[in-house]
Amino acid sequence: MSTDQSPDHSPDRSTGTAEPAWLLVTRREVVSRITDKSFLIGTLLMVVMLVGFIGFTAWQDERTDEVTLGATPDAVAMATVVQEAAPEVDDKVQVTVVELDDAEAAETALTEDEVDAWLHPVDGGWELTSESSEQESLTSVVEAVVRQQVLAENASGAGTTVEELEAGSAVTTAFLRGDAERAAVAEAVGFVFVFLFYFAALIFGMQLASSVIEEKQSRIVEIIAAAIPLRHLLAGKVLGNTALAVIQLLIYLVVGLIGLSFTSYKSYVPALTGPTAWFIGFFLAGFIALACLWAVAGSLASRTEDLQATSTPLTMLMLAMFFGGLSLDGRSQVIASYIPPVSAVVMPKRILAGGVEWWEPLLALGLLAGFAVVTVWVGERLYRRALLQTGGRVSLRQAWSAAE
Amino acid sequence: MLEIRELTRRFGDATAVDRVSFEVPAGQMTGFVGANGAGKTTTMRMVMGVLGINEGEVRWRGAPITRLDRRTFGYMPEERGLYPKQPIIDQLVYVAQLKGMGRVEARSQVQELLERFGLGDRGKDHLEKLSLGNQQRVQIIASVLPKPAALILDEPFSGLDPLAVDSMADLLREYTRDDIPVLFSSHQLDLVERLCDRLVVLAHGRRVAAGTVSELRDAGVPRFRLVLGGDAGWVRDHSGLEVLDLDGTTALVEVRRTGAEQQLIAEATSRGDVHEFVRVRPALSEIYREATA
Repeated sequence: MSTDQSPDHSPDRSTGTAEPAWLLVTRREVVSRITDKSFLIGTLLMVVMLVGFIGFTAWQDERTDEVTLGATPDAVAMATVVQEAAPEVDDKVQVTVVELDDAEAAETALTEDEVDAWLHPVDGGWELTSESSEQESLTSVVEAVVRQQVLAENASGAGTTVEELEAGSAVTTAFLRGDAERAAVAEAVGFVFVFLFYFAALIFGMQLASSVIEEKQSRIVEIIAAAIPLRHLLAGKVLGNTALAVIQLLIYLVVGLIGLSFTSYKSYVPALTGPTAWFIGFFLAGFIALACLWAVAGSLASRTEDLQATSTPLTMLMLAMFFGGLSLDGRSQVIASYIPPVSAVVMPKRILAGGVEWWEPLLALGLLAGFAVVTVWVGERLYRRALLQTGGRVSLRQAWSAAE
Repeated sequence: MLEIRELTRRFGDATAVDRVSFEVPAGQMTGFVGANGAGKTTTMRMVMGVLGINEGEVRWRGAPITRLDRRTFGYMPEERGLYPKQPIIDQLVYVAQLKGMGRVEARSQVQELLERFGLGDRGKDHLEKLSLGNQQRVQIIASVLPKPAALILDEPFSGLDPLAVDSMADLLREYTRDDIPVLFSSHQLDLVERLCDRLVVLAHGRRVAAGTVSELRDAGVPRFRLVLGGDAGWVRDHSGLEVLDLDGTTALVEVRRTGAEQQLIAEATSRGDVHEFVRVRPALSEIYREATA
């Protein structure tokens, strides 16, 4: 038996060009994902849907409603007044008057779609008849014009004017916290934020967990563990997926904001950029925290089939964040906006709604980042210990207390 | 040389590996045999640092092994499989880089090895598209990247056809010729006997035998077979021997007193013709069965 051999049979490798292990792992995660067709197609599809939705909204906005209003001889005068006054009431409605001989002709014209509606006098007023669907914009225009016209006639019959009758009756509205439309926009964008976070965290989380299982199941993790500390493997996986999620998020947000600037909501774009920037910050911290937990869920499973079970607490948490983000308001919303990881979606919503002190987002983000540090630390311990345990699912308690 | 000293690993109350010691000398192939659950995989995982060690130590070239030492080892885990949906060249380069190689260097070495294994034009294929035999080749490439200082292979021959076994064996011999210690586990005893310089037998977490194949076969009490021209019945009365079997002119004896076999042959020649007098060594499988019983 030989004793120790001469030391010069060590492998001759240049380590000078070697990169840090976590960076290698990060790059593999990113490259293997962005060269994956389903990921690319999914992202592209989402962008197309986003552009399509915004385009549709813009088109809907710009479109002028062209309606034809049928009028029997006794209503032609009133219909003409409606035609002339329509743009003043609603600039998206253009009315064309079609003269009809009698009630019978009017009904025929309606059923054959020659006119959209038929205006005629009835006892004590006027009637607007349409086939079955209500002509919403036309109805409001006709209501307003007819009312104004009849009112003016009645007033002059009584020897007065409409202005005199209406004097002092106007009620104007004022809002302390922005106006109703602004609130609606904030609500809608808030929904988008919650939705984006939920889907990114769920889809990337699932992906991360199953790639952890793939490595565990194939035992490639043993080859990796023999070469680099597992901490680097976890860091690389979390960073890689975070980078992908943030890039995808940025694409969606940029496309969304640019798209919005082509619609009638363009005046809101500058006001939205601030909250959007905050949202990216909250997304980043929240995502890292959850990504570590997803990696743990993966490491506790020993086969892909186990993931359902090991990730249940996490999917529940995600659902709680989703519905909490959407439904909480008032005091509970304020409280939730500080509690990680729910704060990741609730605080950006509060920022959008306005009325948040400057220190509030900072405090919430700080707490969320602190939470992320804790999950990274706990997650690393659990991941490292569970990853090399084979043979069935590993419980959290086993993973926590297992010897390495 | 790789030394395993008093290595112990417990899982809860069960002791999977119990004070196991052996050596894997440089330039030698050491076979690691034992039934399923004997502790082979656990021992190899401890050697590779993939599993914690409760007691004992692993020494490499005379000093306690370090993480950097282990990084230079080639390791093939038991249930093998790299990333099924990644081109093989990419994942081999990745593994080489994790072991500290530069990207360019890794790429050229991977390509060279792929060509050696007849996979030169398959680099861009996904692993799952390859036949099982070829997947095994990719796996062995992953473990010998970069030029390893030692090889620790868990069941490298399982699932290989005889031709693939031969080419794998040739490859391993190439490494032992370069003075690299090779430890591999197997439960195909014939294979181990044919390939190995040394052998370590594990049973229920303990080392029950270790040594070269001939050392092990010679280790027991010497046995001799004697074939005579006439009846061999008189052998029963010869002192210092135990007759294990007697069949007409043939006797199988076990030596109880040193030198007794010399007196036996002397008496046999004085009584008549001796057709055969030969030392009988037990087959490896017999030793294995006895050791692990």
